[in-house]
Amino acid sequence: MPIGKVYSYKKMLAQLLLLAVPTAILFFYLLWDANLFYNILENNWISQGIYFSSGLFVAICFYSYRFRFFTTAFFVFLFCYSVYKLFGSLSFGEFDSFYLSIQFLIFSFLFSLGWLAGFGFSRSRYFTIAWCVLLLVSKIVVVSKTTDITVNALINAFVPVLAYTFYIIYTAELIRNMNEEEPRFAWFVTKRLAGFGLVILLLFFMIFSVFKNDFQAVEKEWGGSQAQNDKKGKDKSENMNKKDSKGNVSNKDQTKLTGSLSKDKQLVFVAKLDNYFDDGITANPLYFTAFYYTKFDTLTQTFERDSLVPHNDLFLPDPSRIPLYFSKTDSSVIKNTHATKSRKVVSADIYKVVLAPDAFLAPSTSFSCQPMSVPKEFKDQYKSSYRAKMWVSDLNSAYFIYNPAGNQQLQSFQEFRFNRLREIKKIKGPDKQFMDYYTFMPKDEEYKKISELAKQITANAPTPIDKMIAIRDYFLSKNEFGQPLFKYSDNPGIPGIPSANKLTYFLLENRKGYCAYFAGATLFMLRSLGIPSRIAAGYLTVDRSSKNPGWYWFYADQAHAWTQVYFQDYGWMDFDTTVPDVNTQQSPQPDGTPPMNIPQTYMVADGEITNVNVAKKQISLKIKKLLYHDKDYESPTATELTVDVSIATISADTGAVAISSLTKGMHITAVSYSEALKNILADKNDDLNSILKKLPAPVPVDEVKLFLKDEVKDQKKQEEAKAKEPIDWIKVMTRMLLTLAGLIILVFLSPWLIWLFMNAKAKGNNSDKAFHCYRASLYYLNQLGYSRNGKGPQQYATEVDANFGTSFIGFNNAYQKAKYSRQTLTDVEIKLLNNSYDNFIKSVRSHIPFKTRLSRFLNIYNTIHYFSQPKIS
Amino acid sequence: MEETIKIEQALDNIKKLVDNIETVIRGKREQIQFVLTALLAKGHILMEDNPGTGKTVMAKTLAKSISGSANESGANFKRIQFTPDLLPMDLIGSHIFDDVKKEFVFKKGPLFCNVLLADEINRASPKVQSALLECMAEHQITMGETTYPLEKLFFTIATQNPVEMEGTYPLPAAQLDRFFIKIYFGYVDETTELNIYKDYLGIQNNQDHIQQVLSMNEILFLQQETEKVFIHEEIITAVRNIVRETRNHPDIVLGASVRSGITFLKCLKAFALVNGRTFVTEDDLRGITAAVLDHRLIYRNREAKQKALTIILGRELDRLSKLNLTINRTVFAPPAQDI
Repeated sequence: MPIGKVYSYKKMLAQLLLLAVPTAILFFYLLWDANLFYNILENNWISQGIYFSSGLFVAICFYSYRFRFFTTAFFVFLFCYSVYKLFGSLSFGEFDSFYLSIQFLIFSFLFSLGWLAGFGFSRSRYFTIAWCVLLLVSKIVVVSKTTDITVNALINAFVPVLAYTFYIIYTAELIRNMNEEEPRFAWFVTKRLAGFGLVILLLFFMIFSVFKNDFQAVEKEWGGSQAQNDKKGKDKSENMNKKDSKGNVSNKDQTKLTGSLSKDKQLVFVAKLDNYFDDGITANPLYFTAFYYTKFDTLTQTFERDSLVPHNDLFLPDPSRIPLYFSKTDSSVIKNTHATKSRKVVSADIYKVVLAPDAFLAPSTSFSCQPMSVPKEFKDQYKSSYRAKMWVSDLNSAYFIYNPAGNQQLQSFQEFRFNRLREIKKIKGPDKQFMDYYTFMPKDEEYKKISELAKQITANAPTPIDKMIAIRDYFLSKNEFGQPLFKYSDNPGIPGIPSANKLTYFLLENRKGYCAYFAGATLFMLRSLGIPSRIAAGYLTVDRSSKNPGWYWFYADQAHAWTQVYFQDYGWMDFDTTVPDVNTQQSPQPDGTPPMNIPQTYMVADGEITNVNVAKKQISLKIKKLLYHDKDYESPTATELTVDVSIATISADTGAVAISSLTKGMHITAVSYSEALKNILADKNDDLNSILKKLPAPVPVDEVKLFLKDEVKDQKKQEEAKAKEPIDWIKVMTRMLLTLAGLIILVFLSPWLIWLFMNAKAKGNNSDKAFHCYRASLYYLNQLGYSRNGKGPQQYATEVDANFGTSFIGFNNAYQKAKYSRQTLTDVEIKLLNNSYDNFIKSVRSHIPFKTRLSRFLNIYNTIHYFSQPKIS
Repeated sequence: MEETIKIEQALDNIKKLVDNIETVIRGKREQIQFVLTALLAKGHILMEDNPGTGKTVMAKTLAKSISGSANESGANFKRIQFTPDLLPMDLIGSHIFDDVKKEFVFKKGPLFCNVLLADEINRASPKVQSALLECMAEHQITMGETTYPLEKLFFTIATQNPVEMEGTYPLPAAQLDRFFIKIYFGYVDETTELNIYKDYLGIQNNQDHIQQVLSMNEILFLQQETEKVFIHEEIITAVRNIVRETRNHPDIVLGASVRSGITFLKCLKAFALVNGRTFVTEDDLRGITAAVLDHRLIYRNREAKQKALTIILGRELDRLSKLNLTINRTVFAPPAQDI
């Protein structure tokens, strides 16, 4: 081991202040960060940081004074080892000695690390680079093991280490190269560091300002409402619902597996589902679906919607955009279900309480949506309502794991439907693409474990439905102590290792979780068995009251995720495997009265306002669509209709509005329950115009529904879309590449730019023209690879002349005379100095082919060589 | 005005002298210039290389071309072959008893001359070496109570074989310092060598009939003129930097002294004159640095010997080449129309 040069105290001081202090600070931060995840026997980050920094400081002081590394390090390690052994042989309590030795182990590890770092800083030139690479790599490893990839987390993880890397490499090199005898040493260092800091800061802010929007988008996309929780460093919980600023609730289009689920007990909506068992009395509840999660992101362990689903059977209208009582239907959904056997059309009326106006929920598979008005006496309670129509299987039911005991009717139904499904021995999808998509599984050791478990559980189950039942029974089974094997928990906790697969952790170790865990585990067990399945998200339907059969109340904590399995001919079937959580089956408050007395609508007119008469309370409309006695009429030309709104309630999505706020051009729907219209019937041949003529003028209406103007709404939507727009990595990459390309081009062109400057100077008429000519010539030759490089001017000029057939030597002699003597120059010499430059450059140019000239001229290394002073030593 | 003409003549004569010597010593123009530089700087020169590279011939030719064969105006040339048994008396001279006058008379030794060729100086014992070097430095000889000044023009050309050769007493660093310039002769390149073989008779002839080109007075005059050569402040700064760098350089154990710096400046001026200029330029700096400084430095290893000084010099040249010193030095002719 060579002994380095002994540093002056100044250099040591600089190392301590400029290298050791930032390193110590970084380590305090890193250790603090690490201690958030790992807790080691009351050892806190402050003491750990102190261990490390003491090692670092002592080592730097030590090795600045010619100590040999091997001997000193040997003694340090020997000392540590012997103390460690001593703890083992101490006589007090076993735990105490264990505790002490653990503490000491941490101390000696961190101290040695600091010691090595100190040695590296003071002796080895390349240590800083290796050290920074080590830090970065370890940081990357740690981050890659976590699933919590938010912008904040990434920034927290990488920015300090990156900044430190730049700083430390620069500073270490600065200290190494500085002249110890520089009289104004401190000023020298401060100046350089300040300049460096400024550049880095500028760069950072530039990058940040350019990518600010993207960062925010990422924040919104990933962080969501949990960002604040994350900042506090407390538990990261997931909510199945999302709430907008007005408190409206809707299902989120992704669900992440996290440590805990937060729920609240708010009534979200009420629904009447027109689905009964064969006896026509016993209600058959169905789960209300919002989305299908067909994709699973293994990295973040999140279930997501996928827009590229084959045979998309998701009907997703916006009820707030459909005129009252007019229905929107998408029959392609029915086709896409591929279900033909035992299907019927069922309707459901949904009354929204806090559910967002644009949210649409219905049992699967819905294909139609018809907004309806809420009866007057319930207006305060329910904001809006719609009727949905579904293509429902007779065999489908919410009852699977959730089974009210002792219900004969139900048991026979279960038997019946299982028997029917048992007829399917092997599931065949409509095509290969469908099967591939819905049986896709990540290839990973962890998922293999799930697959093995699934095979073990379903070993005795011959048919797909039996396998499904076997999985359900596995979740319901009891362990050797008679306790349930799986428990429902909103706070299952996360595995100790941040990167661990949460599903296998749930399935094999923890056995506690909320719906997403059960659904996810079931999904992958089914898929591993080749059964096409997907996850549906929506609301769990619980039949609580026998008072109003068919009516269901949905609270926020009923937001749910479950598995759907595809059976050919029967289509998608709901199977919920989440073990019962007692809480959700009892309503938090007594269910209210359902809005039952829906008035009969006789006429619904949809159109734009042409005139508003506030005094008479009359509105004139231009209508193109009319619903009269449940029959649709449409006409391509608009027809004028005047309605009397004196008794009407005027409302928008957001609530009641005054008549005065209606203006020309607004889009409204006028609804009439008036008895006066009851007896005016339409003939078969009637069209929109003829019906309108039959009506009394003005037509009395009971309800007016106002739509937000399309533009306003579109704008809002666009804004939302903008805000939500996921970070466009391609855009970011293009920007980064463009910036980079710009920089590269600038660097690439810098030799040429410098040449332009010098050439211009040489051609100008200054009092020191000779100097500029000489400098430009020298630079030009240097760029072409003929650098002076320690040669004397005359020798150089002779060589140049020999190479290019120029008369540089004459110019050179005159120039040297002008430069170093006090003699007056002769006229010939002055002429030489003033006029020979252009010819010289021309002649040089003509001697080198363009290609060579270009490639050599733009070589940045030549330029660097020209400007850098040769280094001594 | 008369003086200027004289200078130009003298400069012309230097060129002639160089050409003259070159008829005998082929392909050694640089070395000839160094010898003349040492002469004009009122210093002494040490030539080192393997036997048979032309050191002695060079010295003899130079001496002859400034002294002629036996001319009054010519310089007086003496030659001493140094051997291990040589004694200081053999150099300085000794007191001899005059039978007629019945007293001791000082018989002057070979040192009392204008040009002295001290051949194979490192073969003599240190005693003799220091006697010679003492004279070179003091320009006088003290015998007993009397001090005898040496000639006004006293120039020593010492030659030595490389230190590694057997039977030598290497000169210590302190004594090497007395020589302004130390040059290595080296072998000539292949074409020159071929020419030498083809024409060795002619060379022999030239050597025998060498002409006197410079008179004593002219040399003394040129020595005076050397002092007047203009040296720019930046060049002096460069000399300062180079000398200081040799002290700071990690591969140089012993750097150059202040005396070396002064010698350096003197040699620069002389070298400029030898090159036909009355001002010092970067070329002179580059030409002379190694010859003046190399033998005064002690290097850490062989590699450093080859590199260190070149790098230090290169750095200074780089600095000088980028200096803008020509402000207001050129008077503009209006845009040239007469071409």
